[in-house]
Amino acid sequence: MSKDSARFRLGVDIGGTFTDVLVMEEDSGRLIALKVPSNRKDPEDSIIQGLEQLRERHEVAPEAIHYFSHGTTLGVNTLLERDGAEVGLLTTKGFRDILELRRLRLSKANDLFAPRPISLVPRRRVIEVEERLGQDGAVIIPIEKASVLAAARRLIEMGARNIAICFLHSYRHDRHERQAKAWIAEAFPDVYVITSSELWPQQREYERCLVSVINGYIGARMRTYFDTLQVKAKQAGTQCRIFSTKSNGGVMGVEAAGDRPVETLLSGPASGVIGAAFIGKVIGDERLITLDMGGTSVDMAVIQGEVPYSNENTVGDYPVLLPAVDVSAIGAGGGSVAWLDAEGVLKVGPRSAGARPGPACYSRGGVEPTVTDAYAALGIMSPDGLLGGEMKLDIDKARTALATIGDKLGKTPEQTADAILQVATANIYAELVPQLARRGVDGNEFSLLAYGAAGPTHVFMLARELNVRRVLVPPTPGLLCALGCLVADLRADFVRSLWQEADELSDQTLQKTFAGLEADARDWLERQKVDVTQTYLIRSADMCYAGQSFELNIVFPDEPLTVEALKRWFHDRYELVYGFADRSNPIRILEARVQIVGVTSKPNFDAVRPFTVASRKPVTERRVYEHGKAVTASIRQRSALNPGDTFDGPAVVEQYDTTIYIPEGFKVSIDRWHNLIGERRK
Amino acid sequence: MIDDKIGLEILSNRFQAIVDEMAQALFRTAHTVFIKETQDYGAVLVSPGGEVFAASRRYGVLMMVGMPMDDVIRIMGDDVAEGDIFITNDPVSTGGMCTHLNDVFLWKPVFRRGKLICYAWTFVHMSDVGGRVSGSIAPSSTELVQEGIRIPPQKLFRAGKLDETFLNMFLANTRTGEQNWGDMKACIAALSTAERRMAELLERYGTPAIEKGIVNVLDYAEMQARRVISGVPDGEYRFSDFIEADMVGQGMLRINLKLTIAGGEMHMDFTGTAPQVRAALNLPSFSKTGHWMLITGVVNWLCTQEPNIAYNAGLVRPMKVHIPKGTLINPEPGAAVGARYSTSHKVCDVIIGALAQAVPDQLPATDSGQGSILMVAVPDPTTSETKVSVIQPAVGGSGGRPVDDGVDGTMVILNFLKNVPTELLEREMPTILIRQYGLREDSGGAGRYRGGTGSIIEFETHAPYSTVTSRNMERYVFPPAGRLGGTPGTTGYTLLNPDSNRARDIGKIDILEMNAGDVLRIGTQGGGGYGDPLERPAAKVWDDVLDGYVSERTAREKYGVAGDPTTGLDAAATEKLRAEMRKARGGKPLKAFDFGPVREAYHERWPSAMHDAISAIVQPMPRVQRQMFYRALYEEIDRMIDAGEKVTPAQVPAVLARIQGGSPERAPARRAG
Repeated sequence: MSKDSARFRLGVDIGGTFTDVLVMEEDSGRLIALKVPSNRKDPEDSIIQGLEQLRERHEVAPEAIHYFSHGTTLGVNTLLERDGAEVGLLTTKGFRDILELRRLRLSKANDLFAPRPISLVPRRRVIEVEERLGQDGAVIIPIEKASVLAAARRLIEMGARNIAICFLHSYRHDRHERQAKAWIAEAFPDVYVITSSELWPQQREYERCLVSVINGYIGARMRTYFDTLQVKAKQAGTQCRIFSTKSNGGVMGVEAAGDRPVETLLSGPASGVIGAAFIGKVIGDERLITLDMGGTSVDMAVIQGEVPYSNENTVGDYPVLLPAVDVSAIGAGGGSVAWLDAEGVLKVGPRSAGARPGPACYSRGGVEPTVTDAYAALGIMSPDGLLGGEMKLDIDKARTALATIGDKLGKTPEQTADAILQVATANIYAELVPQLARRGVDGNEFSLLAYGAAGPTHVFMLARELNVRRVLVPPTPGLLCALGCLVADLRADFVRSLWQEADELSDQTLQKTFAGLEADARDWLERQKVDVTQTYLIRSADMCYAGQSFELNIVFPDEPLTVEALKRWFHDRYELVYGFADRSNPIRILEARVQIVGVTSKPNFDAVRPFTVASRKPVTERRVYEHGKAVTASIRQRSALNPGDTFDGPAVVEQYDTTIYIPEGFKVSIDRWHNLIGERRK
Repeated sequence: MIDDKIGLEILSNRFQAIVDEMAQALFRTAHTVFIKETQDYGAVLVSPGGEVFAASRRYGVLMMVGMPMDDVIRIMGDDVAEGDIFITNDPVSTGGMCTHLNDVFLWKPVFRRGKLICYAWTFVHMSDVGGRVSGSIAPSSTELVQEGIRIPPQKLFRAGKLDETFLNMFLANTRTGEQNWGDMKACIAALSTAERRMAELLERYGTPAIEKGIVNVLDYAEMQARRVISGVPDGEYRFSDFIEADMVGQGMLRINLKLTIAGGEMHMDFTGTAPQVRAALNLPSFSKTGHWMLITGVVNWLCTQEPNIAYNAGLVRPMKVHIPKGTLINPEPGAAVGARYSTSHKVCDVIIGALAQAVPDQLPATDSGQGSILMVAVPDPTTSETKVSVIQPAVGGSGGRPVDDGVDGTMVILNFLKNVPTELLEREMPTILIRQYGLREDSGGAGRYRGGTGSIIEFETHAPYSTVTSRNMERYVFPPAGRLGGTPGTTGYTLLNPDSNRARDIGKIDILEMNAGDVLRIGTQGGGGYGDPLERPAAKVWDDVLDGYVSERTAREKYGVAGDPTTGLDAAATEKLRAEMRKARGGKPLKAFDFGPVREAYHERWPSAMHDAISAIVQPMPRVQRQMFYRALYEEIDRMIDAGEKVTPAQVPAVLARIQGGSPERAPARRAG
């Protein structure tokens, strides 16, 4: 099959249970999808295993891969499992407890036993340095070499090999931080030193400090991982460069990622949204609500033409200042456990059976009924399960688990399973709708795009409750993150905090600020040494009315940048969002931001052939019990569906990476890019 | 009885979606600082009978369960039509729903085919509603009319038509009219959202199912609450604590509780609580069952014991309350109420203190008790305009818990407050320099589980006439108590120009004017410890020493842990020390509560029976006399004790008669702080 001249693009998404591998042949549009079990200890080994399978089963030679991009959860796991390096921290005199005090607010309300937050750096490894700059950069306490070196030496004696430096006001005036770093680097060359201002020079000392601390905390493991991956991939025969995905939905070379691993923390959810946005762009549907439902989580995002960004992101309880694709967690996924509370009321989640022991029907030791067991017991999922029969489902185990609560409810296993799905749907609904309100969007103008292993299974049940224009299931919904890796652009963000009244700012200063950011951005792209088809800059500023604290991010139109223009853009946008604008009110400019995008060449999706071999399995039938009654559903194979096909629910569509359930009342059609489109039957 | 155990969870999720969506719509459209930074707003759904049947657990204030809407619904009577929106902020006529004038409530009936189904309800804390001071609230206000404009319950919209005459009159009487209207519009947007969503839900499930669902979710929460309460041994539990109103010349104000647990209900009798005061500390609860500002502690306890508990007014049905009229927490109409938060938090502490006697392993030791916001106003020398900014929330540590240490510098109960980045503050207020913001080392009470440390905020001003305010300061006299062998935390302090020859301890702040070059240092309270300090693993104590939470001296003297910074923990010496300390206790049981020497001396001087006698004798008097003679009795008995006389509770009537025989018209002079 593979011609000598064939060129392939490879996207890999390493998840908790599976490593998704997606290959696209550049000329033909042929897609090859693989799921390989993830290796927790040596995550790179699952990639190598994927490469071997590609060579052996699909005749894709590693040498023929011309683009290789991947995302990993290693960073986020290292952080959440508190398994990182010993970091030492130097702070300004009087501010040793920057990490201890956090922003005060605890994440759990109404809980007298809310856990005491434990800092990433124990207090003994935080040392104050005699130094202080004022907000205007004036030296209040000069910095001294001897005290910096003494502090660093103490940290090193305590075992720290990573030192983060965070001094007040360094986002504007970084000379003390730079000086301290230079002294330490000279005296202790084998210690990894990072300053808060070099990573992310934004005002807000706790959050900025945390960025540098996290970078040090996860850095050692990430650098080792990236280095090993490069070596092993080369041994396996690949010749192209390897990229890593970022929280902002872009990619960077793994060499750069080793220095700034903190930028990869939220890359997993971001890649899926990038994949969804790519599909939306291809098919000309620019208003999408994405629903990513896997075994342990449900995430959502809203795409309106552009991929949405948020500057207020969190990983666990840690705020992460860096811009990231705006994704919200809204539930616990297919592994959510169903249970009865003391009053006998049926509940679903928030606890998940996770990958181990997993749903009962997976036969990995799980005995509690889960949402996945409900799919299995109702006939929604085939006993053959996913991955071409590699993950068979034990329906009896599902029914036994369901009976444990069904008996108490006085319901059959089917009725219990049906109730579980209805409660699960109500759970997702209750989380999703307020998130739409937060973004100010109305569902009925949007398509609901489902992905993840369980997203396509559940999406129509949700669509029944939610007014959306239509439902969209892309060709390989279980590997949409890998598709996102494969099509992502080079992307980097730069920030400078101004925090200045617009009237006190001159055009010259404003233009100079942005010119500086743009120069940094272009320099970054230059250093990536990648051929891009196009480069563009997104310039924006966070602004608010003086005395108010609701800020808006204003993306600049393609017009000359002046303070007057900036003020006008802000008033206009404010009026659009809040319905009125007080144009006499002074304006404050907070953050100046530049994002650079180096557009990579995209595969030709118009010719996409998502399924290498069309299934010859005939359309069959199966009894499905759902929404209070038993119906006969047609069972179809996704790979047998062709553009232009239409059929009505109740139906089940089975494919390698997921099962799509289409209830009664919906009709579906297949578009020319092999997307499955569902609409309510009139 | 709930028959549909599946439908219940589905509908309660759908109701939850509506209130969360309302809260998001309100938050997104509002634009004032109170909403954004302190989340002081709320959105709920209310049954036709006036009970909150769904409330957000994530957005806005997390205290709306137990807001009584029944009185105001009754007052508005049958004149309720589609398109109406009601408004009020009046504590006097709403029977405990409004508790100060800054909280403005807007609500809207939801109809289906002409039938009233429920109400959508919102409130926002407005930055200013008029009155004698900017921001409307001052602890020293003596009557409600000083605290802003009162809006008795009325229609803002009548069948969709705005009453502009009323609106203009209201806004003209506030300092921030435009912003207030913006916040009202945000409420209106939220109410419309709820109306639309309820209509969809009624369409989907039908009126009978929704009406039944409303009844069911309330009953369900009540069942859960009763089940948790049933786990508490029946009995009577007494506790009292004191509001330190010395700052407004009112001495110590006692909150007294007799908590009776019986048959899955809690009965809270606050007889013996101090009379209402001529200061803004009164809490107008109207003695309502489960009043929201009385039961924060209990609701937190229920939610901790049963994390999946339904969050609605059904929870508070079993919380019966009795409060004599005319007391601090059930004042007569017209009392100043602006700064009622201190009082509310103290009530929470008192209930926790009583409940902890029944279920000691379910409640934390006392927290810092101070939910104060430290503000500074600085005049700009060129424009003469005054700039106001929050410096930090001045809160302290939480108490040790039966499962974990207290949280350092953070209260677990008031945990939604956020601090202010120093970089932001200094940029905003260039004449203010923050010299320190960190933990107050060695301030948490010792215990098996250590109390959270307080914090230190120290700043310097470079501007003349810098005015500092910090309402709701508390626990400068009596520290947070330790529990079950844990030792008390530490009291707060305020030092003007510390480490200089001008150093002065100035206590709680009402209003303080600072000059250029002055430095102010505030140390907030460390929480009480929980459990026997000698039971805390020595390694953990030593870790605390290495991390500087605890001093070597405290480790040795309170925990019996010895070591040396260079050689580490000395296990043998520790064992010996702990054995000696255990022996020195002589088999005495651990104290259930350790209040610390200052408060124990106060108890010695002012036994409970004395407080009871004074409260009882003034209770029947008209308000002015009640306040006057209450203070006069304390001052006279204080004087008598100082003079070496022995005073018993039985003598109180005689002392009163003597005072009254003197010059009854003369009110005792207000003491300066």
